[in-house]
Amino acid sequence: MSEKIEFKRKFTEIQPIYSMWLREVIRFFNMKPRVISTIVQPVLFLALLALPMSKLFHGAPPEMEQTMFGGLNFFSFLVPGIVGIGLLFGGTMSGVTVLWDKDFGFLKEVMVAPVRRTSLMLGRTFGGLTVGMLQALITIGVASVFGIWYGFKISSLSGFLLAIVFCVLTFFIFSCFGIILGGLFEGTEGFMAFVNLIQMPLFFLSGAMIPISQLKGVPVLYQIQFINPLTYGVDGLRSALTGSTPFFPIWIDIIVLITVAVVFLLLGAYTFSKMEVD
Amino acid sequence: MEDVIVVEGLTKRFGNFVAVNNIDFTVKEREIFGFLGPNGAGKSTTIKILITLLHPTSGSAKICGYDVVKEPYNVRKKIGVVFQDRSSDRVLTGRQNLDLHGRMYTMSKEEREKKIKEVLRLLELEGVENIRLNSLPEGVRRRFEVARGFMTNPKVVFLDEPTIGFDIKARRDLWSQIKDAKEKEGSAVLLTTHYIEEADYLCDRVAIIDHAKIVAIDTPENLKKSVGTMLISFQIGDKNGNGLSYFIDRVKRLDWVIGVLKDNNPIILKIEKGEGRVLDLIEFADKIGFEIISIDEREPNLEDAFLYYTGRTIREAEGG
Repeated sequence: MSEKIEFKRKFTEIQPIYSMWLREVIRFFNMKPRVISTIVQPVLFLALLALPMSKLFHGAPPEMEQTMFGGLNFFSFLVPGIVGIGLLFGGTMSGVTVLWDKDFGFLKEVMVAPVRRTSLMLGRTFGGLTVGMLQALITIGVASVFGIWYGFKISSLSGFLLAIVFCVLTFFIFSCFGIILGGLFEGTEGFMAFVNLIQMPLFFLSGAMIPISQLKGVPVLYQIQFINPLTYGVDGLRSALTGSTPFFPIWIDIIVLITVAVVFLLLGAYTFSKMEVD
Repeated sequence: MEDVIVVEGLTKRFGNFVAVNNIDFTVKEREIFGFLGPNGAGKSTTIKILITLLHPTSGSAKICGYDVVKEPYNVRKKIGVVFQDRSSDRVLTGRQNLDLHGRMYTMSKEEREKKIKEVLRLLELEGVENIRLNSLPEGVRRRFEVARGFMTNPKVVFLDEPTIGFDIKARRDLWSQIKDAKEKEGSAVLLTTHYIEEADYLCDRVAIIDHAKIVAIDTPENLKKSVGTMLISFQIGDKNGNGLSYFIDRVKRLDWVIGVLKDNNPIILKIEKGEGRVLDLIEFADKIGFEIISIDEREPNLEDAFLYYTGRTIREAEGG
């Protein structure tokens, strides 16, 4: 008898998960400034960061550029890195919004609904993920337009699809990361300061801007790259998207990302289930 | 009639502090049951236990036969909750909030459409349902939350201080809307309030709660009757400096005074019904060196009942 109830319950969780997903998406489109910044931000990053930086190698022999960046010119090398920034910032922020729900009281309303907490968290994370993927796709699309003049090209359809998988895994990891951090902090302010602090090293020591191997002679910084999940995300994403030679074998990137994603999901779910509502 | 809420020996301690102290009560089907008491009396804590957000230290509580600790999932399916403070997504419109709520309770599309229409009408929200809550006044947002509470055919709706911060007109409107919604949806309502008139107007039965304990449960009529048939309340000034206790001592001996409900200003006396009590009292006070500043003869209200059962007024209780 009780098994039957439990079965029915699992089945009926699908709609609540969907409703939490839907809420995220409606929220996104209800906030026009967010929609605009999602579109404008990648354009700015590409135009103000990737373009000028790619001029660093102006006049150098193309072979030198290509040896350093795994067979790519610097602009093409930077595009996946910029997608990576979006995943890092967007993912962490989507975790943070779970906290905002607590401050704004909405968490209470869902906590008394006949829904498991893990379902609530999953639905929210999927919602954030959808918005994050939208931004990643816009970035890649805009980069392809710039690429007509600056030599960036998507290698193949299968490569593109694999790149999406890397994006999803990376975003998911940082979304759970945001939720876990959120659980450790009481107020939003201290938390935001900490997030800003930790995003810096995560971003710069991920191979997004500087090839991983270039830091070989620098102790500590070189090693930090290996414990940063974003390193594996950007490495796999770059290779899949552009057909360049990855630093790690692709399967290593995938296994590391999946493992971290599972561990972070469990930690995130635990954090969320322990969250106090008052 | 079936009892939809059965609470027995419910206690909640936070460390040494006892927030809810061994309370018992039942709520019948379709009944509006009120918790009347000052802030900090334990009303909200009790509600949090009943809506499965908090575990009791001891005792038990059942909603529609389901234990709130052992079967929270079944309990949640049976209840609607309107929290004391904000609990909706203000970036969404009222309709979007209601629709998501219905989805979370796995209602079908037709059911949601039908119920949304119904609760919008009951809470008089037609016409503003497609505006984002951010841009609506607080009172309207509150009504959307009440609408949401009644949307899923709940057997019990919990209203925690539903009209806090409302002006008189908005408060009266919401009262009648709550009554209509309760009739239409066939739910029982458990509401907490520290507004006397709210308990009096809305509730079929009232529990007076003070210092974490329930001190009386009855209909508002019976609670008032238990105080007495007639009261006289007045402000007095002490002209000769004899002290209020001297006045109380003397006035008690008048043959039409039954007892003293409150012995500081404004003083309240329980009296026998009769002609000319006000004039008699003014004369009497003057004779022994006191002066009546204001005076009012009236039947007991719930405020007096609160005073009668707890020994203090709600305002005094809230002050300290």
